[in-house]
Amino acid sequence: MVSEEILRTHLQELRRGTVVVASLVALRHPDYGYALLQRLAAHGFPVDANTLYPLLRRLAEQGLLTSEWNTEEVRPRKFYRTSEEGEAVLRRLLDDLAAVQTSVAGLIEGVDR
Amino acid sequence: MTSLTDRYVAATLRAVPAPRRAEIATELRASIEDMIDGRTGAGQDAAAAEREVLTELGHPERLAAGYADRRLQLIGPTYYLVWQRLLRRLLAIVPGTVGVAVGVLKATVGDDPGAAIGAGITSAFQTAVQIAFWVTLSFAVLERTDTSLKLPEWNVDQLPEGPVERDVRMIDTCASVAMLLLALAFLPWQHVQSWVSGTDGGRIPLLDPALWRSWLPFLAAVLVAGLLLEIAKYRARRWTWPLVAVNAALDLAIAVPVAGLLLTDRLLNPDLVARFEWLGAGGHLDTVAGVAVVVIAAITLGDVADSVVKARRRDA
Repeated sequence: MVSEEILRTHLQELRRGTVVVASLVALRHPDYGYALLQRLAAHGFPVDANTLYPLLRRLAEQGLLTSEWNTEEVRPRKFYRTSEEGEAVLRRLLDDLAAVQTSVAGLIEGVDR
Repeated sequence: MTSLTDRYVAATLRAVPAPRRAEIATELRASIEDMIDGRTGAGQDAAAAEREVLTELGHPERLAAGYADRRLQLIGPTYYLVWQRLLRRLLAIVPGTVGVAVGVLKATVGDDPGAAIGAGITSAFQTAVQIAFWVTLSFAVLERTDTSLKLPEWNVDQLPEGPVERDVRMIDTCASVAMLLLALAFLPWQHVQSWVSGTDGGRIPLLDPALWRSWLPFLAAVLVAGLLLEIAKYRARRWTWPLVAVNAALDLAIAVPVAGLLLTDRLLNPDLVARFEWLGAGGHLDTVAGVAVVVIAAITLGDVADSVVKARRRDA
C-alpha cells in the first residue's frame, strides 16, 4: 500500500488542471470568489481558497474572465464571468478532457482484452 | 473590522505590486468576510471563525505570490542545471588557482612560509564564497526577470564519451599529489616554524640544518619528481612497467638516504636531541631510528609491491 502522502500528491496533480475547467464552466453565470468556492465544493470540486482567489485574478488578466464590481450590496464584491475568449479556451479544454477520458477507457479495455 | 483580518490583508498587500494593492485589498477583504460569515452563519463564534479562515488562507506572502504570479524558489528548473554546472566548473578551478598564486607570491615576497600558506588558503576560501554568491545572485535575477539566455537546446551529440577505463583514478592522484606537496612544504616549515622552541625561546629546526647543504635539496628534488610521476601515471591511466621502475627508483631515492641518515644519527637536529633528555639517554635514539627505518622499509616495499601487482593485473 502506498503512503497517504504519495497518493495525495498524485490526486493533487490530477485535479490541478480541472479547477480551471470547473471555474470557466461555473462562471458562465457571473459570481464572486466565495460563492464560486461554495458552488464548486457543492459540485465535488473542493478547492482551497488561497488557490482559487489568485487563480481568478490570473484568468482575468489572461482575458479568459471579465470582472465587474458590484457595489449594490452591503460589501463591494467583484463578479467574474467567463469571456468569449474564455469560452473558446473552455471548449478546447473540455474536448481534451473528453479525449483523456476516452483514451483511458480504451487503454483499460485494451489491458483487459 | 477586526484587527486580525486587517493585519492579514496588510501583510498580503506588502508583497503585492503597488498598482494592484487597492483592488486586491477590497476583494480579499470581502472574500475573507464572506468566508467568516459563512462560518458564523453555521453557528460558529466570530473570533474563532476569523482565526480559522485566516489559517486556511495560509501564509500571506504565499498568497501574495499567487496574486503576483511570483516564484517561490531561488533558482527554478529552467536555470538550475546551468547554474550548477557553471558553479562547479568555476569552483573547481578559480579558488585553487588564486590560492596558490597568492601563497607563492607571499612566500617570495616575505620570509614566512607559514603565513604564506595561511594567506593562500584564506584567499582561496574568500574567492570560493564570492564566486558562489555572485553566480547564484545572477541566476536568481535571471529567474525573476524571465530573461532568456538563448542557450542551445540539449542534443545527443553532447553525451559524454563512453566511460574511459582507468586504473589510476583522479581522486587517488589528487590524494598523492596532496601528500607530496605536504611533504615538500614540511621541509622549509620544520626549519622556520617548528613546534619545538629552545630554552632561549627560538624555534629549533627538527632536521639537522647542515643537511640543507647536502641531502635536503636532493630529497626535495625527488619529491618534485614524484609529482611529475603522478601526473604521468594519471595520463597513462594505468601502471606501466616504466612507471613501476621510475616509482621504485624514486621510492628508494627517498627511503635509502633517510634510513642511512637515521642510522648514522645525522637526520635529526642535534639541538633537538639535546632539548629532549629522554631522546639522548640510554640508546633511545637508536631505538627510535630503528623503528623508523623498519616503518620506512615497510611503506617502500608496500608501495613498490602495489605498483607491480597493478601493472601485472593490467598485463594479464
